[in-house]
Amino acid sequence: MHDTSKQTAEHHHSPPQGFLWTHVFSLDHKVIGKQYYFLSLAAVLIGMILSWLVRFHLAWASVAIPGLQHLSQVGAPGGIITPEYYLSLLTLHGTLMVFFVLTTAPQAGFGNYFLPIQIGAEDMAFPRLNMLSFWVTFVGFVVLVSTLFVSDGPPISGWTAYAPLSAIGSDAGPGLGTGQVLWVISIGIFCIGSLLGALNFIATTLDLRAKGMTLARMPYTTWAWFITAVLGLLAFAVLLPACVLLALDHLGGTSFFIPGGLVVSDKLQPHSGGSTLLWQHMFWFFGHPEVYIAIIPGLGITSHILTATARKDLLGGTRVLVGCMVSIAFLSFMVWGHHMFISGMNPFSSLVFSVPTLIITIPASIVTLNWIGTVFGARLRLHTAGLFAIGFISVFVTGGLSGFFLAQPSLDIYLHATYFVVGHFHMVMGVAAIFGMFAGTYFWFPKMFGRMMSEPLGKLHFWVTFIGVYCIFMPMHYLGLAGNVRRYSAFVDDYLAPLIPVHKFITISAFVTGAAQLLFLFNLFWSMYRGKKAEENPWQATTLEWTIPSPPPFDNFGGRHPVVYRGPYEFGVEGTPDDFVMQDSPEQPAKS
Amino acid sequence: MNASAGHAASPAGMSWFLKVWAVLLVLTGVEIFLAYEELPLHTMLILLMGLSLIKAAMIVAYFMHLRYERTSLVWTLVPATIFVLLMMNVFFSDSLRIVRLGLFLH
Amino acid sequence: MSELEVAVTGGQEIWQGGESPYAIPSKKLGMWLFIVSDSITFGAVLFCYAYLRLASPDWPTPFRLASIENATIMTFVLLSSSVTMVAAVEAAKAGRIAASVRWLGATMLGGVLFDILHIREWLGLIHEGLRLGQNPWGSGLFGAAFFTLTGLHMTHVTIGVIYLCIVAIGFRRGKFTSDDVEISGLYWHFVDLVWMFIFPLVYLLSARIR
Repeated sequence: MHDTSKQTAEHHHSPPQGFLWTHVFSLDHKVIGKQYYFLSLAAVLIGMILSWLVRFHLAWASVAIPGLQHLSQVGAPGGIITPEYYLSLLTLHGTLMVFFVLTTAPQAGFGNYFLPIQIGAEDMAFPRLNMLSFWVTFVGFVVLVSTLFVSDGPPISGWTAYAPLSAIGSDAGPGLGTGQVLWVISIGIFCIGSLLGALNFIATTLDLRAKGMTLARMPYTTWAWFITAVLGLLAFAVLLPACVLLALDHLGGTSFFIPGGLVVSDKLQPHSGGSTLLWQHMFWFFGHPEVYIAIIPGLGITSHILTATARKDLLGGTRVLVGCMVSIAFLSFMVWGHHMFISGMNPFSSLVFSVPTLIITIPASIVTLNWIGTVFGARLRLHTAGLFAIGFISVFVTGGLSGFFLAQPSLDIYLHATYFVVGHFHMVMGVAAIFGMFAGTYFWFPKMFGRMMSEPLGKLHFWVTFIGVYCIFMPMHYLGLAGNVRRYSAFVDDYLAPLIPVHKFITISAFVTGAAQLLFLFNLFWSMYRGKKAEENPWQATTLEWTIPSPPPFDNFGGRHPVVYRGPYEFGVEGTPDDFVMQDSPEQPAKS
Repeated sequence: MNASAGHAASPAGMSWFLKVWAVLLVLTGVEIFLAYEELPLHTMLILLMGLSLIKAAMIVAYFMHLRYERTSLVWTLVPATIFVLLMMNVFFSDSLRIVRLGLFLH
Repeated sequence: MSELEVAVTGGQEIWQGGESPYAIPSKKLGMWLFIVSDSITFGAVLFCYAYLRLASPDWPTPFRLASIENATIMTFVLLSSSVTMVAAVEAAKAGRIAASVRWLGATMLGGVLFDILHIREWLGLIHEGLRLGQNPWGSGLFGAAFFTLTGLHMTHVTIGVIYLCIVAIGFRRGKFTSDDVEISGLYWHFVDLVWMFIFPLVYLLSARIR
């Protein structure tokens, strides 16, 4: 028998000494979680600024942005963004956001911090590997951001890096030589960091649960992090070789993704035999599970917080939520072609892909209905975390509904690569996941930092953001239906020019919403030092993280091994003094 | 931490592993023989894939001991891997089509 | 336990926390998970190779008898090194440290021999004109696929040899346990397993023995 409770004990007989070992190369999952969180915060700030540049240019294409020429003399001469540089900025925005924000903070940030605690463990199964994973990810981040400062800037091929544009090299445009190679290296490094992290999460969840913590008693967030880790292990394994092959096309003279006979910039490219569709297949085979990696932790966080907000367990409970998450994860490997409906792929495949795409809406809808059913008729405690959790439902539904349209190849022929798609994925993935991150931050901040965040500031942040994201992304659906193509830097065609006022509205909304995030930043950092001291269980929630001090000691449970007697969301139990019972509380006979 | 009870040494011992090794060598020999026979590509592919899968299964089951581990471990590791690998077969709908469309890639 | 959980886990107590449900150390599970991921990576590259080959009307089949013989010897060496690895693990579990280290040494020798034969083969093919981007016989993708697949595999073999060396030294000194030897064995067998696919799909399908 492998008594895993002692497994990490060797690492934690005493806390480490020295600044380097406690703050830089710490093996403590809580420190590593915070490192990931703040890395994501840096990435989201850069990504947001990039989006401002892009949005500004779309609304006022001929107006100079003062100082931008210092970032790139070629890309923004006199402060006016060239069409190519527009694409460079867009590429970096997408890449940073998808990888270093959406894939990082909800999973590696919160997951690292809270998964071990929620299952009653002292640390992750492999603390050294955990530390390595963070620093590998960090190196990937540095390499990616470096593209802003080298040669002719970031690649113009989008975060999707479609071949042959991404494979040919600098003949095809600025940023496609050095910039693209650095991008490929960065993402390859990120894959490795993610794979190692996924491995850690899976082993930890399976092996290090405390006594009594059966799989059915794991909190929704633990389930979400576990399922996301499984997705990550399987999906990033495909992106990694894709990046290697793309790098070889650049550096090794291979033609994996480059067909013959291409004349680019008046030069016949010395390549032949490759397939551009192959890149798309490999990329989206990873890319679709990736978007579920981005959102499933948010599903878990929302569900988790809703129970404490509504003071009852989710409608349907663990078995329905987990069943839905598992179905979504399983189906996510069968739908990738819906990103390729108009790529020229086998038209029969379009049918084959659109069916599971529509099927995958079913578990997503069930989850959503369960949330709504939970909130309905409940006495809600609307703290900021609860507001963001409910806001998540709203933006997830909004973003998800447009997916129904895009899932049909016939409609997608028109809507593909328009702003309809941009609105869809921003709402359902970007905004929803960000709401999940905000919810998680407001909810867990007291535990992580031992202090409370300001509720009034939080609520203001919520309302401006909530209204703001609708102002930004709802009009995009209209734009898409009107035929507004994405990744265009200027709208000079006669059918697009009338849409510019809409773009102006979106841009102004984006600036206002962005400014509101300063409220959040201020709240975050100010509360770390000046917030009201937090108690052990400020939200009166039931899971194991609320049974330990705020902030927790280095080995989480102070040397004791928690034993779990009950399910994770026992609210409203008869005969208890409060309206909830902690998971490790044995007083009453346990429900199953 | 010494070896846990239940799967310390395998129930069979080295002679069994040598038998597995011999079978693997024989199967490899069959594969080489097939190559010598110069069968059509599609036939070769199916036969070679089949033989390779058998060899892989033997290595996983015996050399890597999966046969003697708890069944739950097998269920955890194997179906997901096979599922993902099977899904990648959808790629071929395009590679074969490229040939049939007569698109010259040169 | 709920009924559903009983149905899924068999109601076994081993799933109720406090111990590994697979009755193996976590690092062994970790290695298995790594193997799952790496097999998907190799699988993806193999699918790319197959895709491109099926889409190319001029795929060369340059491997003459000598190449196939060489590759067969390489296969034999790798398979045998798997057996020596099994012997190493058996010895380690029985507490025979010195014997285990000797078997590990034999396995490493097998890996090194494999690498040497492989590099020799590469040099020969390069001398004949095979490059990453082109070759004198047909589609330039042949070299790309060949060098990428075998190069990726050879890297894994080399890392494996280094890994086994570290484990052997550490095991002899008592820093590592028989579990660690077993875990390194898993990696080694995985490397062998991948070759079981590369040999027929790359070499035998591109052979011109007669």
